[in-house]
Amino acid sequence: MNIRNYNVFFHTHTISGIIITVLLYVIFFAGSFSFFKNEIDNWQKNTPVDRSLQEHADYKALTDTLDARYGLYGRDVTFYFQQDKRSIYFSLSPSKDTLNPKAAERPYASIDLKTKDIRNYKESYSLGEFLYRLHFLAPVNSLGKFGFPLGYYIAGGVAFLFLFALITGVLVHWQKIVSNFYLFRPWEKLKTVWTDLHTALGVISFPYLFVFAVTGAYFLISYPLFTQPTVKYQFGEKTEIVDSIMGYKVNEYPFGGVPLPKEKTDLGYYVADALQKWGAATTISSVRLLDYGDRNMHVVIEGQAPKTSSFNGKAKIVYQAADGQVTERRDPTVRSSYRDVVNNLMYILHFGKFGGYGTKILYFLLGISGCVVIISGVMIWLVGRDKKHIPEKKRKFNTWLVHIYLAICLSMYPVTAASFIAVKLYPDGGQNYIYRFYFWTWLAVATLLLLFRRNHDKMNRDCLLAGSIIGICIPIVNGLVSGNWIWVSYRNGFHDILLIDIFWLFTAISTFICWWLVLRRQRLKLRALAN
Amino acid sequence: MPANKKHLTASPWQRLLKISAGLFGGYLVTLSFHFLLMRFLDKGDVYVTMFFTGFIAWAGLMVLAFLARKGWKIWVFYLSLSLLFLSPYLIDLMYVK
Repeated sequence: MNIRNYNVFFHTHTISGIIITVLLYVIFFAGSFSFFKNEIDNWQKNTPVDRSLQEHADYKALTDTLDARYGLYGRDVTFYFQQDKRSIYFSLSPSKDTLNPKAAERPYASIDLKTKDIRNYKESYSLGEFLYRLHFLAPVNSLGKFGFPLGYYIAGGVAFLFLFALITGVLVHWQKIVSNFYLFRPWEKLKTVWTDLHTALGVISFPYLFVFAVTGAYFLISYPLFTQPTVKYQFGEKTEIVDSIMGYKVNEYPFGGVPLPKEKTDLGYYVADALQKWGAATTISSVRLLDYGDRNMHVVIEGQAPKTSSFNGKAKIVYQAADGQVTERRDPTVRSSYRDVVNNLMYILHFGKFGGYGTKILYFLLGISGCVVIISGVMIWLVGRDKKHIPEKKRKFNTWLVHIYLAICLSMYPVTAASFIAVKLYPDGGQNYIYRFYFWTWLAVATLLLLFRRNHDKMNRDCLLAGSIIGICIPIVNGLVSGNWIWVSYRNGFHDILLIDIFWLFTAISTFICWWLVLRRQRLKLRALAN
Repeated sequence: MPANKKHLTASPWQRLLKISAGLFGGYLVTLSFHFLLMRFLDKGDVYVTMFFTGFIAWAGLMVLAFLARKGWKIWVFYLSLSLLFLSPYLIDLMYVK
């Protein structure tokens, strides 16, 4: 490769990388845990998923409960079903029935299928949701009123710069890709170890990282960058064209103003009928009841074919409640259109929604290896500039910058582990409790590390050790608090609770081994120096 | 070992021009290219394709901008490319009332 181009790629890779380091680490670390979002929530609240609850859900009782509480007549009611959860989310639009005193209310809440508890979003907020939303910097949005989601745009910008860094990174490494593909030399000097981790691991996980950079940018910034200009200049400012392309479009029906006989509003009948048409293996993802209880009520059911039979099988059916007629129907076996495939693939690939737990665990490991690639890159950056000919002032600045970066990044491990214990002890704390605990602990630990551990090795060791000790306590605390010890969960088939406990057991033991290996290596080095 | 300074842009103005060309010029080229495709292909299909090709093309154009010798040259290149891609629309504006 042309020597000038090589240096340009190298420099732009370095600068873009060093700018996004901390945020990208947070995104990858929190994002990796988010693959198990629902399992973490179930673990926290001790609500193991029970498929039979969903299969035998009494929809009539469900709508009756909501009707008694909010008055459903003339509202659009939407239920969002989640396969891995015991509760169903619902949202209600304002009612067109002016006689309803609660007409203006528009609740968004969850209802537990077992206990029938209704909780609004903030009350049902849990650690899984927190880590998921932290990974696209949603908490930043609430720092002030900007008129746009600042956190999403920052995270989207980071994703795009990450894409740039990935492309330039591969170009820098281009000539060594084949020769150094599996080259790991863990027993060489540290700089070599970091270089191998950064380049070889980076190239091996490149396809995965690339997919995440592109899909991440798509979720967060494609709306202002691509959708808005396209709507303005290509679709004549008609947003409904986009809705119909994306399959979001819902037909609007006029409000009849005449109530429908009660038996025609039975949601259970429509769900059973849809499943009969699509096959029982189809999962229902959402149900919308438009103008509930009105003469013009419509029922929209959306479903998904099982992943084992179709990667992309979306289903939809619309009933007119007054006469039970089907006005729109799309079966999951119908061949998907190109745009459906693209649109759906973005989600499936980013969320790892195929292949069950195997995929998710692999995705988690690749996500954490992304964190390793990020940190090793920063270390190469520092070591490469720690030379005699570089002015003392600059070297000091570099060291401090890396100190701050490492303190923020590495402390995420023990802080996240501690937050699992915090939510286990107080599972119903909601959003405020999790925010306070996580952010204050994070700030405190990072500050302590900065003040008392001005040594990268010690910082790293302390975080590994603290995370391991707290991590090993997580299944124990869960056993003590809920009685669901690992063997109890195993016997009862609580696979989600079991997964989180075993996950922490494995993680804590592996990081403990890492801590021990690092400690031994550093002791050997010190001894060699002393002799 | 950091990149060799000898091969990097020294002038801050040139650097600013290259960064802005990569960010804004690259975006403009990306968007205008997809608008050109929308002229001839199914708009909806091009629109969903843009979700991934848009970001990949934009990032590629940003890399290209840094390879340019002079910042203003890459700006001129990206602007004329955008105008070329938008030319069917510009012709419409001029001749079709």
